[in-house]
Amino acid sequence: MTTLSPTEPAPVGKLMPEPEGGRRGSSLRRSRRRLIIGLITPAVVLMLLVHLLPMLGGVYLSFKNLNIFTFRQLFDAPWAGFDNYRSILFDTDNPLRSGFTGAVQNTIVYTFWTVVGTLGGGLAVALLLNRPMRGVKVIRALMLTPWIVPSFVVAVLWQYMWQSDIGIINKVLVDYTGILSERPIWLIGENSLWAIIIPSIWRGLPFAMLIFLAGLQAMPQELHEAASIDGAGPFKRFRYITLPLLRPLIAVQLLFGVIYSTYQFAIPYVMFGNNPGPDADLMMTLIVRQSFSNNLFGYGSAVSVLLMLAMLVWVAVWYRAFKRDLEVA
Amino acid sequence: MRSRYAIVLAIAAVLVGALVYTGCGGDDDSTSNNSSSNTDSQAAKITPGTTVKLWIMPNGPQPQEDMEASLAPFTEKTGIKVDVEVVDWGVQLDRIRNAAVSGEGPDITQAGTTQVPFFAALGGFEDLSDRVEDVGGAGAYPDGVWQTTQVVGQDGTWAVPWFTEARSIYYRKDILEKAGVDPATAFKDWDSFRATLQAIKDKVPNIQPFGTPGKKAFDLVHHVMPFVWDAGGAELSSDNSQSTINSPEAAEGVDFFAKLVDDGLADKSQLERDGTQVENQFEGGKIAVWIGGPWVLPSADRSDDTNWTDAARKNVALAPMPAGPNGDAFTFVGGSNLMMFSASEHKNEAWEVMKYLSQDQVQTDYAKLLGMFPARVEPQQAVGEASGPNYEAVYQAIQQGRTYSPIPQWAEIENTYKGRFGNILDEAAKGQYSEANVQKQLDEAAKEADALLAQGG
Repeated sequence: MTTLSPTEPAPVGKLMPEPEGGRRGSSLRRSRRRLIIGLITPAVVLMLLVHLLPMLGGVYLSFKNLNIFTFRQLFDAPWAGFDNYRSILFDTDNPLRSGFTGAVQNTIVYTFWTVVGTLGGGLAVALLLNRPMRGVKVIRALMLTPWIVPSFVVAVLWQYMWQSDIGIINKVLVDYTGILSERPIWLIGENSLWAIIIPSIWRGLPFAMLIFLAGLQAMPQELHEAASIDGAGPFKRFRYITLPLLRPLIAVQLLFGVIYSTYQFAIPYVMFGNNPGPDADLMMTLIVRQSFSNNLFGYGSAVSVLLMLAMLVWVAVWYRAFKRDLEVA
Repeated sequence: MRSRYAIVLAIAAVLVGALVYTGCGGDDDSTSNNSSSNTDSQAAKITPGTTVKLWIMPNGPQPQEDMEASLAPFTEKTGIKVDVEVVDWGVQLDRIRNAAVSGEGPDITQAGTTQVPFFAALGGFEDLSDRVEDVGGAGAYPDGVWQTTQVVGQDGTWAVPWFTEARSIYYRKDILEKAGVDPATAFKDWDSFRATLQAIKDKVPNIQPFGTPGKKAFDLVHHVMPFVWDAGGAELSSDNSQSTINSPEAAEGVDFFAKLVDDGLADKSQLERDGTQVENQFEGGKIAVWIGGPWVLPSADRSDDTNWTDAARKNVALAPMPAGPNGDAFTFVGGSNLMMFSASEHKNEAWEVMKYLSQDQVQTDYAKLLGMFPARVEPQQAVGEASGPNYEAVYQAIQQGRTYSPIPQWAEIENTYKGRFGNILDEAAKGQYSEANVQKQLDEAAKEADALLAQGG
């Protein structure tokens, strides 16, 4: 028999103390197991059908020579072995591989700045709003607005805002404030990567802020008070109390932020179409272009699989880095 | 207990097997179901009350209503109902491809003229060779238009031409007058084209001389290729075996176009926009000259279309594309065709719909709603000669028009060229234009196109 003390967490699968007695106990165990299986089965079946099967299909297609002439055969298309992977990773002369390295670099830069901006900005705003002041509830609600705007709408809105001749951003920077003397072109050239990073931060920041705010409000104030009495200033209190206590929240947001940003598609696609050019082409736009515009579905699937593996490596690195924080949490 | 697990596993295996079978292999029969089975006697078997599904793209401001109105007399006469669905241009290629592969789709679809070879090579579409004599066959259509129903290296007629368009120069009469340029000679050749834009830049404030969309425009290649053709270049070699987009002639044409941006004659900020947005800029009086299709003309006559400023609406005029160094003045001729899916269970009824939409008067009426031209010779000529000078300019452009090689890989090659042309224009906007940079991009485009041409099953 297992007895739970009030301070001990319930072991998984043993939420209730097992009943005493032989036959009655085992019958209850069986019915409980059936209940658990019954509750889990729909989710498992759905996951298999919606996630696992298509994923396995995609992995299988990455070993196929799929192009316009073989697409109709789909799973029966000629076997290509590792040709697609070899071409992507090592065959730099293959013209169909064109843009892969650039897309990898752009995706890394995009992900880095988007995650840093989203988490850094979210934390900063959460710290600002975590204090008593008039209208704070209204401000918090307003701050959440960008988060409820769909990505496609965000991209359309910012696309107009970035337009160099009539967009509001250049109007503010050049016409209204005179910060810049010439109108920068945001949607062409090096600026175009920033033209997708900034809206991505704008949209992601409210959610990060919400999570951090919840963390800050759950933080015991006694720690700050005690540190203040001991002479710790605001920076030291933030560095040695706030930040360590927020680590689990930072960890979770970092995990999802990197994955979400790496898989970003809607914003660059709406702003630039399926070929954003060498300055703003991301992995997802490259995959969609090669698969759906050039009909190289085997190649596109292989890039997708490589991207998925890269994300699995990221999850492993992340888990090693934050394992302790998760256990504490 | 074990036997129970075995039963569950067996059921799961059957379910997964069925799913895989229906998802992947269920349409094998349809590939072999081509028109050879459609004899004339079958063509006569029509079942009134049948519903034929038709996919169209957003043609005109009210695509659904216009198409249904156009088909109403047909349904009344034959009893065949037509279920019209409007599919956006942004997703139509994917949806048509998926329908062709899965066998789950409509009976007929509209397809862009340059897409026909791709879809025909993909499979899943009916060879209409045995039926097209019903609509007059090749003789009823201009050669260039009929060519869009064929595929190089593949026997058959895969579509019926529906409506046609050609790109022309749109300009503002009042702006040319202010710039002191005679419209009769303003766009005669490349030199006068440049001189006109320069005069507008120098003499008319608050309006940009020329606007062209950038990499975002799906039809960017249609804007650039006429200049390549004018200079004696071509998209592919005459046997379609390799790309010639990096030839000196092709480079000359692309150079001319990119230099308009580099010299400040083409507005850089228009390159941030797609074709429709640049069209709106012309209508809104922001740019004086633009290259566009005839579909814009009806909107100028509609007072409820608020995109147009009064000045732009009153002064819009069309001119043929300028002649290049060899005296040629090519333009891109496009439009849409109708294709029938092999998986259609109502092929005879579907063909009746296609026949109806190929009638001279029906084509004329429908094309008029869209600002397009009928695909057939006689009504095309009638519309061109009786609809005023602007339509006549487009009609002349159609006669001088050119389209791309009808090979299965063209859609992919066009996409590659689009990306490279976009890069060239972006470089010009960034002040990095040089003939060497243009050549480098075109060399890359040619390599990618050659790789696409080399792919096989």
